[in-house]
Amino acid sequence: MIRLEHVTKRYDGGGAPALDDVTCEITRGEFVFVVGASGSGKSTLMRLITREISPSQGSVLVAGRDLVALPDRQVPALRREIGVVFQDFRLLEGKTVYQNVAFVLRVLGTKRHRIKQLVPETLDLVGLDGKAGRLPHELSGGEQQRVAIARAVVKKPPILLADEPTGNLDPETSAEIVTVLDRINKTGTTVAMATHDQGIVDDFRKRVLELADGVLVRDEASGGYLRDADRYDDLEDEA
Amino acid sequence: MRVTFLLGEVANGIRRNASMIISVVLVSMVSLFFLGAGLLAQREVSVAKGFWYDKIQVSIYFCTSQSTGTPSCTGGEATKAQQDQVKSQLEGMKPLVERIYFESSGQAYDRFKQQFRNSPYLSDVSADSLPASYRVKLSDPDKYSDVVDAFRGQPGVEAVSDQSRVLGTFFKLLNVVSVGAVGLAVVMVICAILLITTTIRQVAFSRRRQVSIMRLVGASSTVIYLPFVIEILIATLLGAVLAIALLWALVHYGVEGLFNTRGAGGDLVSMIGTQDVWDFAPWLVVGAVLIALVTAWFTLRRFLRV
Repeated sequence: MIRLEHVTKRYDGGGAPALDDVTCEITRGEFVFVVGASGSGKSTLMRLITREISPSQGSVLVAGRDLVALPDRQVPALRREIGVVFQDFRLLEGKTVYQNVAFVLRVLGTKRHRIKQLVPETLDLVGLDGKAGRLPHELSGGEQQRVAIARAVVKKPPILLADEPTGNLDPETSAEIVTVLDRINKTGTTVAMATHDQGIVDDFRKRVLELADGVLVRDEASGGYLRDADRYDDLEDEA
Repeated sequence: MRVTFLLGEVANGIRRNASMIISVVLVSMVSLFFLGAGLLAQREVSVAKGFWYDKIQVSIYFCTSQSTGTPSCTGGEATKAQQDQVKSQLEGMKPLVERIYFESSGQAYDRFKQQFRNSPYLSDVSADSLPASYRVKLSDPDKYSDVVDAFRGQPGVEAVSDQSRVLGTFFKLLNVVSVGAVGLAVVMVICAILLITTTIRQVAFSRRRQVSIMRLVGASSTVIYLPFVIEILIATLLGAVLAIALLWALVHYGVEGLFNTRGAGGDLVSMIGTQDVWDFAPWLVVGAVLIALVTAWFTLRRFLRV
């Protein structure tokens, strides 16, 4: 579903690469945590998958597309197959919960009767049934993140990327949000969630990709570190 | 994206950025007004010059049956012999006389009807009241007085005139007005382009979250750009409509009202009318659409990457 092969990403400012020779694969229907300290390259990885940025070296394959060779005009089609959730929710303040979720479908030209069917279904999936008429500022942080998740999955994308979705939430609400993501994963959606919350990762026992200073240092599903233990310990101490 | 959703987005955009949209309307109006004024001034030059102005230097008008009070016309309408006499004299003046055109009374009437179509005097003029004439092109226009002196007062010749000497200053003035107006129009169009650029950047900034969501869910660049482009298009088209209304008012009250009415001096020079404004109106609208589309599209491509 998502495959990175020897991906290196350097930003224009120079310095150390944000991602350094990363190779990994996330298969269809998986739930993967991408962990690492701030600046370790988690968000860069997410942005590479949505083709907001391109790698300096290596190749990125998502949903059967080679993103390095993908023409710009085909990027929207790629993004229609990916839902994205952010730490800061990014809801439209002047629109209700229903309107925020329906906005995506309206932008994509979905028929009105289909919108009326999909939006309540999705709000129910994320546990927001009965709150369709609320405005974002009338909701708690956890509820706002549920709206953001509903907005990301209402178009039924095969891939859901969540970039630090629990970063602004207390531990209990964070666990609820990951439970919602887990529920979505069980419907067949591939989920990749970037987080630096080790507690969440430990509690949910999913596959873990760990980045440190742009290097993939752990892929738990593969059963061992990709780098030697001493180097990883050094990186951990620095972090 | 469905039409109702698109229109809703456009209406929201206009409401939230009303002051910027109004400034685009006003700048478009002023720039297109000056452009239209320049074009109308050029049209006035063309209308006033008529058919012969750029082709000849001297006109020799023959007496008509209605010519009275001119000593050389006491014999009534110029005879064929008198006309032939003038022709042979003109041919004798070569090479100063480069070309000779004969315009019959009927041809003169047809051209008069075309040239003075906006004049209230048109209905007063009958075909036989306009004189036949020889129109003469000179190899050296500065020697026009040689020809004028040779024919003035000759039997059958009512008048010899050099229209260009009379109207030259007027046309020079109109050309200055025309060039000035088009020059101002160019400056104002640059202002309009810069303002549209700024407006789009501001509108895009105020809607950055919405745009980022549209981009991430897979909206195409056309879907993302369209509300912005339509808002700017509406503003510039409104500016064009207002500019056309202003030009119409200028011509209707300022030109037709003052010059194309009886006793107002409109019989001296044929003037443009409101029909000329309608002739230019589609081009002003096309200009407005082009300014809006090209500027908006380039600005969006530059500042709103999808």
